[in-house]
Amino acid sequence: MRNGTKLLMLAVMALACTACLMASGANAASLGPTDSGAQAAQVMFPVSNQPNPTAAGMKPVVFNHLIHEKAVEDCTTCHHTGDPQSCTTCHTVEGSGNGNFVTLERAMHATNIAKRAENTPQSCVSCHEQQFARRECAGCHSIVKAERGNDWCAVCHNVSPTPKQMQDGCAGKMSAEENLKLAEATIAAHQPAQPISPMSGPLKLRIGALADKYQPNLFTHRRHVASLWDAIKDDKLAQAFHSKPETLCAACHHRSPLSATPPKCGSCHSTTLDPANPQRPTLKAAYHLQCMGCHEGMKVERPRKTDCATCHKPAQ
Amino acid sequence: MSQHSIVIPTKDKLFNLDPLTKPTIGNIITWIILAVGLVVTVMRFGLGIGAVANLDDNWPWGLWIGFDLLCGVCLAAGGYFTTVACYVMGMKHFHSAVRPAVTTAFLGYAFVVVALLYDLGHPWRLPYMFFFPGTTSVLFEVGLCVATYVTVLFIEFSVAPMEWLSGKFPWLLKYRKIVIRATILLTIFGVTLSTLHQSSLGSLYLIAPEKLHPLWYSPFMPMFFFVSSMAAGASMVIFEGMFAHKGVHNYMDETHLREADGVVLSFAKAASFILFAYFMIKLIDMLVQANIPYLFTGYGAWWLVEMLGFILLPALLYAKGSRDGNVTLCRIASVNAVAGIVLNRFNVSMIAFNYQLPPSDGYFPSIGEICISVFVVTLIVTAYRFIVYHMPVLYEHPDFKGEEH
Amino acid sequence: MNRRKFLTILGSAGVASSLGTTLTATKAEAGAHVFPNYDESYGVLHDTTRCIGCRRCEEGCNKANDLPKPDKPFSDLSVTSQRRRTSADAWTVVNKYVVDGKPVFRKLQCFHCNDPACASACFAKCFSKLPNGVVTYEGSQCVGCRYCMIACPFYVPGFEYDEALDPLVQKCTFCEHRLVEGKLPGCVEACPMDALTFGRRSDLIRIARARINENPGKYVNYIYGEEDAGGTAWMVLAPAKDGKGSPLPQNPIDAGHTLEQMDLNTHLGNRPMGELTYGALGAVPMIVAFWPVLFGGAYAITKRREAMAKQAQDAVVKEAHEDVVAAVDAAVRKLEETEGPGAAERARRAMTEALKAREAEAAHAKHGEDS
Repeated sequence: MRNGTKLLMLAVMALACTACLMASGANAASLGPTDSGAQAAQVMFPVSNQPNPTAAGMKPVVFNHLIHEKAVEDCTTCHHTGDPQSCTTCHTVEGSGNGNFVTLERAMHATNIAKRAENTPQSCVSCHEQQFARRECAGCHSIVKAERGNDWCAVCHNVSPTPKQMQDGCAGKMSAEENLKLAEATIAAHQPAQPISPMSGPLKLRIGALADKYQPNLFTHRRHVASLWDAIKDDKLAQAFHSKPETLCAACHHRSPLSATPPKCGSCHSTTLDPANPQRPTLKAAYHLQCMGCHEGMKVERPRKTDCATCHKPAQ
Repeated sequence: MSQHSIVIPTKDKLFNLDPLTKPTIGNIITWIILAVGLVVTVMRFGLGIGAVANLDDNWPWGLWIGFDLLCGVCLAAGGYFTTVACYVMGMKHFHSAVRPAVTTAFLGYAFVVVALLYDLGHPWRLPYMFFFPGTTSVLFEVGLCVATYVTVLFIEFSVAPMEWLSGKFPWLLKYRKIVIRATILLTIFGVTLSTLHQSSLGSLYLIAPEKLHPLWYSPFMPMFFFVSSMAAGASMVIFEGMFAHKGVHNYMDETHLREADGVVLSFAKAASFILFAYFMIKLIDMLVQANIPYLFTGYGAWWLVEMLGFILLPALLYAKGSRDGNVTLCRIASVNAVAGIVLNRFNVSMIAFNYQLPPSDGYFPSIGEICISVFVVTLIVTAYRFIVYHMPVLYEHPDFKGEEH
Repeated sequence: MNRRKFLTILGSAGVASSLGTTLTATKAEAGAHVFPNYDESYGVLHDTTRCIGCRRCEEGCNKANDLPKPDKPFSDLSVTSQRRRTSADAWTVVNKYVVDGKPVFRKLQCFHCNDPACASACFAKCFSKLPNGVVTYEGSQCVGCRYCMIACPFYVPGFEYDEALDPLVQKCTFCEHRLVEGKLPGCVEACPMDALTFGRRSDLIRIARARINENPGKYVNYIYGEEDAGGTAWMVLAPAKDGKGSPLPQNPIDAGHTLEQMDLNTHLGNRPMGELTYGALGAVPMIVAFWPVLFGGAYAITKRREAMAKQAQDAVVKEAHEDVVAAVDAAVRKLEETEGPGAAERARRAMTEALKAREAEAAHAKHGEDS
């Protein structure tokens, strides 16, 4: 019966949208039509039954339905109940009985979701985190953790509504047309960051601070950056979250402020154990962990981890 | 039998070595074993343990500990068992069994120490345990008790050589009197020490629950070892008696022969009770530890073989034998019981030990190890024969006849 | 002779207590059963997710301790797939374990337990846990009984079986000679991956927890050695079953599956192994005190029973004797009346002789039975 309802609803919505498009085609043209017939983009307000919810201080989120529906298998990936209704119908700021009192914040951000017998729901964040396992992402994301600072929040929380719009939105009274208009305006205003070109970095680097039993390593910096960049240049998720030109650099040049001229590894990693920071790898281990961690994540089979001479020739 | 009379072999001369040097089959085998044993001994002390033994890092203890130490000590339990029955419990009709039992116990313990010297990396450092006492160690307790008990047994046993030598050295009589006076003290001291170290041999393995199979590992291992040592003591008196009657029948006096069957039947009854008790505590321990699932494995079958074939069966045979007055059946039961005790010690120390290691890391004693163990047993038998041929063990010395002690 | 041994000798001579005020170390040793659990001891955290099985640690150990050269060079990495263990010549080895289809390398060496089973088992006090975390072995007082090898739950100590005159137990020393010089243990220094992290044990536990928390799905939620066998100075982090897996914090119980495949025994419990023997050892004074009373009492009861039996028997014999004497007397008197005094005198003499003969016979029989 549920599937029947779903199909019926979809059909009704498709019909409604087609009618809508035929009536005023110019309105939705900026994003293009969705396969499902759902609204191409929408602003998600912190819907609450209280007039002024605590979350109202946060910028609402714009959700690009068009991009996301292309990235998932079917609607139930997000619409986990099978009903293609808005998240905030059940998951309000305070939580409601319909949504098993799972609050909107948990529904969007939770990463520790208990497994269900079938169709375990995903939050935005948990689904995005799973993408780290993709080969082109796993290299960097297995060795560094994305910093969850303001920039990270602002990737999604980037809508600036008027107070009136905010009030309507929180109360769930905003009309679909107005919502779509606001969403499209936000998306249109967003300029993705242009990453630093691999060409602006050095071509090759001589890593020789530790040369002892082995000769210095000649690290092909440009080739490495270019291959990383190549793998993700068409990836919408990466484009959205690599929100600064130097974000990609931070995979290796981690834990320092983003910069086109980051500090050297040896600035923090000493050659011998630092008693004050016993958890910090020594320089040699830092290189090895970083190189091998990324290679392993990206499933680079060669060289094997114990083929020392492939990267640095033994000293004469 | 009432016409049986013996000639005191050392009445007129000091030594009676003829039976040991006559080229009978038994003697020739003995000489061969002793000769081979000496060669292996030279190899062991000249080239190291690795040259003769299959011991390795996973198997630091093998046959020498499993048989010579664990079985040796356990099977020498006849000493305390008989002395307690005779002196403490007042069963005077066991009196003729006391001296042979004390003799074999003393020999057993003395040669346990000898065998231990082969196993130790630094045999001459054995007394170090008194200089650097590791009081947290079970082995320290074992060592301390065995060392003390060997001394006690030596004093108890010393009456026999003193009676033998008193003709030549009359001043020994004074010491003999002191020892005889102290009999009851020595007996009680002996049983205390025996309780401690017999049980401690089981405690040795308490520290390795991850290595010993759960069917054999139990917090009550000390109790198992002690209770089974009592059964072993009773069984060994019957077992040794059987061989003594074959080999050195001529050296037994009328009293010994008259009481022998009574000793066998009474000890068989006692052993039957003890084996039943031992069977029950092992069974209940298995149930309490919820080990039933293990019974359906290979080790479980082996455990059942030990429990049914080597504890329950001898218990039943003993019960039947003592009830019917059937000495032969009791002797068969004693063989079965002794084999069962040996099997249990082998299981704990070797067969069920390191059960989680892959078969490739298994242990089987080398020829050299077996040679040394056989060598030590042969030494005990030879020493026993020497003593019986010279000293009043199986008969009462006419000079001291009728003296209560 | 080092200071520790000197103290032991003093201790056994019974003079240590009088020096206790000046030698504080004796205080810690005074409690015979419990080893002090040094919080600030050193330790090493072995992160098996970092280990690549390069055997540099084995080489470093071999060099730092002047151990004999192995048959196969350290550059031969194929040996890691054999199931090797530590021995007298190799105090540390790296083995490859297949955990759920994926290779994981683990370094084996002495775990330097907080309360070591070997020290508890040694009857000549060769092993000591030092405040800096090291479990030392003093070979000069070793008897070579190898009970330490039976006791060690990790199968660590090795023995020089082929040494004829001075065979010793050998195991990782935590490179104590390097620690006192301020250097890292040979293996830790040689590790190119920092799979071995040296530090204070309490810091290492914090670091391990941080790694588990910061990398959800990477590690099993269990620090092997934090509690096992009473806690060890060397601890192991193991990879999670499913590397990319769920971001859920894993249940420590699930870790057993992974750890068992890496040959790490998770059934050792959280108490020192030595404590398993303390119950049995604690019963010793009780038996020493109680057994003489028990068996002395049994002896006294036996003696008393024998005395009572003898008394009763004597009374019966005496009564019977008196009866016979009275009967004889009456018969003789009757005889005197009827036959005259001469016949009575003859009869009395005959009777007395007959009684004496019977008594002598009875006494002889009785003697024969008793002897």
